[in-house]
Amino acid sequence: MSVGVGGAGSKLASLLDEGSATIFDVSGVELDKVEACSKIRAVAHSSKAQLKGSRKDPEIGRQAFQSVKNKALDLIKGQTVFCSTGGGTGNGLCSVMLEHLSALDSISITNKTVFVFVVPYAQRESSDFVDNTISFLEGPVSKAIDAGNTGNLIVFSNKVKFEQRIPEKTFNKMIIESLNHFLHIPIKGEELKQLDGNIDYEDFCLYKTKPYFNHFCQFEYDQDVPFGKQLKANYNELLLDPEGTIESLFLLELPNPDLTNSFYSILDYFAEDDVSPMYSVLHNPELKKPLITVSLLYSRKPLELVDDFNAISGRHKRNRVEKSLDQYVTLSRLEVDLTNEAEKVWRESHTEGDEVLNVLKRIGKL
Amino acid sequence: MKDLFDKQVASLRDYHFLILYWAAKAESQHIKYNITNAYDDLKYHRITRTKQSAVAYIESLTTLCFLSMVEEHNRKNLYITNYGAKVLELLYSQNIYSIKPSNFLEG
Repeated sequence: MSVGVGGAGSKLASLLDEGSATIFDVSGVELDKVEACSKIRAVAHSSKAQLKGSRKDPEIGRQAFQSVKNKALDLIKGQTVFCSTGGGTGNGLCSVMLEHLSALDSISITNKTVFVFVVPYAQRESSDFVDNTISFLEGPVSKAIDAGNTGNLIVFSNKVKFEQRIPEKTFNKMIIESLNHFLHIPIKGEELKQLDGNIDYEDFCLYKTKPYFNHFCQFEYDQDVPFGKQLKANYNELLLDPEGTIESLFLLELPNPDLTNSFYSILDYFAEDDVSPMYSVLHNPELKKPLITVSLLYSRKPLELVDDFNAISGRHKRNRVEKSLDQYVTLSRLEVDLTNEAEKVWRESHTEGDEVLNVLKRIGKL
Repeated sequence: MKDLFDKQVASLRDYHFLILYWAAKAESQHIKYNITNAYDDLKYHRITRTKQSAVAYIESLTTLCFLSMVEEHNRKNLYITNYGAKVLELLYSQNIYSIKPSNFLEG
């Protein structure tokens, strides 16, 4: 079961688990927009928020969390939580969830939660979204990584959506399709004939409970080209690029069982980085070319992520200030003679009531 | 020429300033203002006790063409010139001297 938090998170959760997702929101109107098995409204104090949502204010989401605290913390155990980091509800509710998990001494493997975040594309989206994301990554996400009480953290970026001008609905489907490539690894293991290695449900669930960022991708594998080169060329463009890999997992589907040995060169590639991946090689007769699904777990410090956003946010703010100056302030060069200016000021301050000037004006000598 | 004008203005004193002002004020009120009136006013404000000094101040102003002296009905009446008006305005704008009332005109 997946859990959607806030508007964007709810849409993704309902796409992944049609009919069985649980969604949280502060607005009844927003809840009505999404099909879900269970809809839970977190009660916000302001009536405006109840109607229109948190409107980019995470504090509203944070306050509303108290009304659903017990239910939410119980529901997310062992599940996948979706939220966007830029808005108010997803960011606010998820922040408190992460802080709560971080404060716990330890969490059993079966209760660890996978978090899927959607971060804004800073170059195109509102600076409020960017600033909310910075606070979210600096605070709750950073704490959660330090505590190690979460499962995988999967960070999707809206970059492709804006650069390729993709409608939201299509983009959400792309995210879920990409996620399913990863989530279907154990299902395929059951359905297809095994040639080498094995990733069963238990292995896969254990992998998902590791508190690292997860980058996964799927591409056609050419055994004549170095694997590293192929991997870098096929990074998942919907996700943030990975850093140094800590653990990995791959599923290689081969149309022809004779190619089974080709997976050794993949193991060689990971061995160079001292990584021993979990792997599974399957026979998939429906394919024309070998297909590989790779997952890389990496521990990029959230502060580095924040630095990226901060740099962009800073640039936006500088540009806004410069544009405001260009638009409203004309700074022309002034040639100022202080003596003349002083006299001018004096003349302006000495008005009609001035005795000497009045006398001189009356006699017409000025 | 501007340098010369600036030097002439800079060498003037408060009594010159007051004489120019009183002469202008009298003209604005269509009253004739003569050397004796100027001497009386200077004496009233304890600036000088001798008429010779008052005459000397007035003559210096007429020499500089800031003031003109016109003999009318056996009286030497004083009229401020256009240059004198500029000098008076300038001195006043520099806030060096403050005006004092003429006892003859307002007393």
